[in-house]
Amino acid sequence: MDADSSRNDRVVITGTGLVCSLGTTIQEVWNAVISGRSGVRQIEGFNAQGFQCSVAAQVQGLDSESLGFEPRDSRIMDVHSLMLMKSVRDALSHAAIDNSAVPREKLALFAGMGMVDYRIDDLLPAVVKSGSAGKLFDYRSFYGEGYKEIHPLWPLSMLNNISFCQVAIALDIQGENTVFSPDADSGSCAVAEAMWSLQEGSAVAALAAGVSETISPFSLARAQLSGMLPSGAAPGDGNVRPFYNEQNGTVLGEGCGVLVMELHSAAEKRGVPPLAVLSGCGRSFGKEDGAGAPTVRAISAAMEKAISSAEIGPCDIDLIIAHADGMAAGDMNEIKALQQVFGDCGRDLPVLCSKAVLGQTRAAAPVIDLVLAVSMLREGTIPVILRADRSNSGVMDMPVRRILVNARSCEGQAVSLVLEEAGA
Amino acid sequence: MLKEIAKRRVVITGAGLVTPLGRNCGETFDKAAQGCSGIDYITAFDTAGLPCRIGGQVDDSWLEGHEGAWQRFPSRGLRLLRTAAREAVGSAGLAEIQRRERIGCAIGFHGDNPSVPDLLLLHRHFDGNALDMHRIAAEGTYPATNFLARKPDVAVSLMATSLDCGGPALSVTSACAAGSQAIGEAFRMIRNGSADVMVAGGGDSQLNFVGFIGFVLIKALSSKYREPQKASRPFDRKRNGFVMSEGAGIVVLEDHDHARARGARIMGEVLGYGASADAYRITDTHPKGLGACIAIRAALDDADLAPDDIQYINAHGTSTTQNDLTETLAVKEVFGTSAKQIPLSSNKSMIGHTIGGAGAIEAILTLVGMERSIMLPTINQEFRDPKCDLDYVPNEARLQAHERALSNSFGFGGQNACLCLGRYHG
Repeated sequence: MDADSSRNDRVVITGTGLVCSLGTTIQEVWNAVISGRSGVRQIEGFNAQGFQCSVAAQVQGLDSESLGFEPRDSRIMDVHSLMLMKSVRDALSHAAIDNSAVPREKLALFAGMGMVDYRIDDLLPAVVKSGSAGKLFDYRSFYGEGYKEIHPLWPLSMLNNISFCQVAIALDIQGENTVFSPDADSGSCAVAEAMWSLQEGSAVAALAAGVSETISPFSLARAQLSGMLPSGAAPGDGNVRPFYNEQNGTVLGEGCGVLVMELHSAAEKRGVPPLAVLSGCGRSFGKEDGAGAPTVRAISAAMEKAISSAEIGPCDIDLIIAHADGMAAGDMNEIKALQQVFGDCGRDLPVLCSKAVLGQTRAAAPVIDLVLAVSMLREGTIPVILRADRSNSGVMDMPVRRILVNARSCEGQAVSLVLEEAGA
Repeated sequence: MLKEIAKRRVVITGAGLVTPLGRNCGETFDKAAQGCSGIDYITAFDTAGLPCRIGGQVDDSWLEGHEGAWQRFPSRGLRLLRTAAREAVGSAGLAEIQRRERIGCAIGFHGDNPSVPDLLLLHRHFDGNALDMHRIAAEGTYPATNFLARKPDVAVSLMATSLDCGGPALSVTSACAAGSQAIGEAFRMIRNGSADVMVAGGGDSQLNFVGFIGFVLIKALSSKYREPQKASRPFDRKRNGFVMSEGAGIVVLEDHDHARARGARIMGEVLGYGASADAYRITDTHPKGLGACIAIRAALDDADLAPDDIQYINAHGTSTTQNDLTETLAVKEVFGTSAKQIPLSSNKSMIGHTIGGAGAIEAILTLVGMERSIMLPTINQEFRDPKCDLDYVPNEARLQAHERALSNSFGFGGQNACLCLGRYHG
């Protein structure tokens, strides 16, 4: 294959969308991280004082009305739906993809979706209806009549794919798709599958999205029972301390990242400048019984595959955005894997982690990291607050050409992706 | 590079099923070939007062128990998956493959629903603003594992761990298209060189009150029937909704050369995969079957086949008024004047709808049908619907050789998938 055809087959990013606790546009978020701000605050929307940790990085400022949803549709929406809609719209606009730019059946959408939970209070009318004299609750009454008081669309709101379908409907996206769930690996899988759908020719343009779960009593309970929440966390950063032995725990975050991807040749044909190149992907699995993270071997294998598929060596990587969520066992495995893969090249390699300031956004995390990585490649600067060594605010001028982004799940999956500057 | 990738052939070297019709592939296929129904009155939970009281239950004695890490999750859906996987990996001889890092898993599964008593207990601890975790812990009446029961990736993690698979592990949650999409994604991963072998498929059990009422509330389930066995009647004029069921299907997909090198028995080939979105309405399919057309055409393109190359279609065929009509329209749109000559049948007439398991179960029955030259019937064809005028293989299986087939799966919300499968010829 000659150099030109190789270049034309490269998968490039032509648009990004981002919503997280630091803002609802990329510019807002970028300005916030270079100012050294944290998105971790006291939880709003419900009383979280009974939980081990009552702070989180929640998204603010999104509502269904301003995003143009009909009241009927918004009945089955939660924060995750709004984040996905906003980010996909922004990403398409950024990539200059309107209804005529790409045939709709060739516009793909792959998503990693976080857990979608029951809304407990929606059961209230049915519970009230099912009360009977002398008894708090009568099951026969509930099964016979009471359940009819539940809103007909209540069960739909809990399906993992419904937000995804709402976005496809609203934006007329008809192409290839898959929904993966629910941890950080699923967001990376969405990116990887989007890459392959372009390279195989199934899609002309592909969106890859990662969407966090909505922070709710359910999600906090799940995190607490899984041993993820730190105790005594306070608003601001510093609650998540990756790679620090003395702390074990993470703070939940809400967010969504979206990438628009195309083959270089397609972007060039449309006259849209590539923002960056997605050049490598590696996936692996390995879990020891009872462990809440992939093994060192699995994390290493994912990074090695990503680097080799990008046709580079470890020493060609300039920057790592680690998964690093503050969970001691997983972070320890990740650091050992980094040492194994990078050896001496890793000695001065900057390692960033976004979860200290954005929270653990799970399915969204790797895509958010990729969106931030695109900004770093283009700006030639690194927001210092994201450094794993816990520096404060400001930026560090450091031109980077290639960034490795890691993601893992507590169930044992490890995924790594390589992003390169558009001219690399 | 891409053309070289496209040349990698992907074959099926193992399959496992557990359905209301049978405890394995052979039993399920044989019962289906006899036109038996697996639908009956539900005994798994109290259906008194509900407009639909029937479903396709799997005999509990057919299911694997849980051992090791699986014991942490007492889930019926996981038991279904584990049972189907055991047959699939056994028939494929998966244990003999040395390079475990080249074996991945892709599973369509949606986790387990809590029971009504558990939800009500939770409701009692929620005052509209705060969940009283201290009281929940102190009382000990609410099973804490319920907070984790709906995690769908537990299935693929347990599968990969117990089968010692170190390759990519994907958890697919695309509703009724999940099983097909899991196989489609696995197919792509082998074709692009990310893995040599993939354990793929799906399973679900929604035969519990919370899972069931969701579909009752949107009036999707059959509610007019005299005999449970006649309630699922895809394409028949008197169809009035689908019948909820449970089950799982798992296949072992393998790179052709890899399978040949180890002397594996090859039962068929995946030729292509297509997916699409209706982009129409959450609760309705596109009236002209637009999304279905896109998925079918994409699968044909991917397989580099023309519509005339297809000799059988395993329909999504849910027995709802909407699906069966729009699927018929989509097939007519794609296949034109040939549409009426292509036999098309719905396994759901006998098995019901297994949600995340459906696409995988139906793909496996399609493969076995090609191997045995048998097209499974659509049972309960009694009243012809003039708008559903294709050859639905009515009521009796047909002995007819066929080489290439499609298997359709259309998910709730508008996600569609189509697998193109072929008989293996070396």
